[in-house]
Amino acid sequence: MTTNQIMQRILLWGGILAAAVAVVGGIVGWLLAAGAGVASALVGTALAIVFCMLTAASILLAFKVSKGAMISGAFFGIVLGGWLLKFVLFIVLVFVLGDQDWLHRGVAFGALVAAVIGSLVIDCVVIMTSRQPTIDSDADDETQGRPASGARA
Amino acid sequence: MDNATTIFAEISGNIGTVGYGLAAIGPAIGVGIVVGKTIESVARQPELQGRLTVLMYIGIAFTEALAFIGIATYFFMTA
Repeated sequence: MTTNQIMQRILLWGGILAAAVAVVGGIVGWLLAAGAGVASALVGTALAIVFCMLTAASILLAFKVSKGAMISGAFFGIVLGGWLLKFVLFIVLVFVLGDQDWLHRGVAFGALVAAVIGSLVIDCVVIMTSRQPTIDSDADDETQGRPASGARA
Repeated sequence: MDNATTIFAEISGNIGTVGYGLAAIGPAIGVGIVVGKTIESVARQPELQGRLTVLMYIGIAFTEALAFIGIATYFFMTA
């Protein structure tokens, strides 16, 4: 299983987790605060899952742009730039949502924490169960076409 | 009397910004270490790039989880 396949599996399971947390959070939110509780649970889940899954998505995109070369400006520019952008967006959204009267903060926070921890569990399980070869690319030709040292010309 | 206690007592505004600052320090250092060590490792053994990328991902995921919860705590847990 390659790195790309592992990231795709993480994204797939992240989507399933989002649905599960949204349903459970929605039920708890309905019991606590009716419609506002359901909306708060959906907001908390969406915030956590979208922002957690953006890391995996950014690695997929970065590998595509940098053509599989990890040691490149494009790869780290996309992964770490995406990380920075994600946090700026997250802070802005939390700032805006924090002032909303309709938001049930306890439910939103609970759904957010559950989704964040759930996504970490998914990451761990997917990576533990994936059979990734230790070396997944051919070794570079160190002699670059020249005869290796000790070899007969 | 102008001592440190009086000055601190006079600080006003949104304390959430202080929370954001505290929540940003740890993950910033954590991600810096994770990414730096991954670059170092791939420079030493390029053929391990695939496995190291996945390990880097999980390191970033754990550090950013703390930041998400830390930043959200103030805004969602106060009235």
